[in-house]
Amino acid sequence: MKTLTIILAGGPYISEDAMMAYKIADAALNRYHVNIFLYLDAVHIPRRGQDPAIFANEGELFADLAERGAVIRACSRCAAARGYLAEEDGTSRDYHEGIKISSLYDLPDMISESDGVISLCR
Amino acid sequence: MRSVFYLLDSAPYGSEKAFGLLNAAAASLGKMEVTVGLYGDAVYLALRGQDSKGLGVPNLAEILYAYGEMRVVAHEPSLADRGLFSEGLVETVELVDEEAFLEAMEGSDCLIPL
Repeated sequence: MKTLTIILAGGPYISEDAMMAYKIADAALNRYHVNIFLYLDAVHIPRRGQDPAIFANEGELFADLAERGAVIRACSRCAAARGYLAEEDGTSRDYHEGIKISSLYDLPDMISESDGVISLCR
Repeated sequence: MRSVFYLLDSAPYGSEKAFGLLNAAAASLGKMEVTVGLYGDAVYLALRGQDSKGLGVPNLAEILYAYGEMRVVAHEPSLADRGLFSEGLVETVELVDEEAFLEAMEGSDCLIPL
């Protein structure tokens, strides 16, 4: 199975990037192993307890992707800077289940193992 | 993927983008062939003698010096457009014209604009 990596750098709702990433990953999961790396403000996306009212809850959408097999990792430096702390296993009580905080070194690992990379960073 | 081109087109200070891009590029060294491309306002990152103490943020030129093995190309027309052509540049930065910049991007397996 081929591998697709999606890189996000923007937070939820401020642009369509997170929703686009969700839709791409949703379709790709049928044919690809999907990685998503959350960088800079994108580390806000998996936060629990979002209540966007008029938008789809992007945290829950990404949790759904993780449950279906997508590997979703958030940069630890970016997460710590924004107040998200990781447990020893990379989970965070602030995050939806299945999404972990990990080293930035996971990014080149994901890229180098991928057949395709989509960068949604503005 | 064996090579990656990180493209920066925003100024080095004023947002976290340049710092984030350089960190990602540094983390990729040893794993892949890495090129950092500076275009538009990002060419200010190539200037020598940066002093960011007043901003309370890291001096990004020091990251360029710390990772001398990282290939950094600066878009020469962007420097010229900003009147920076005669300014001193960080020694590890390579000045390239439009065609060479495009070649560097095309020659990489993966393009990551930030």
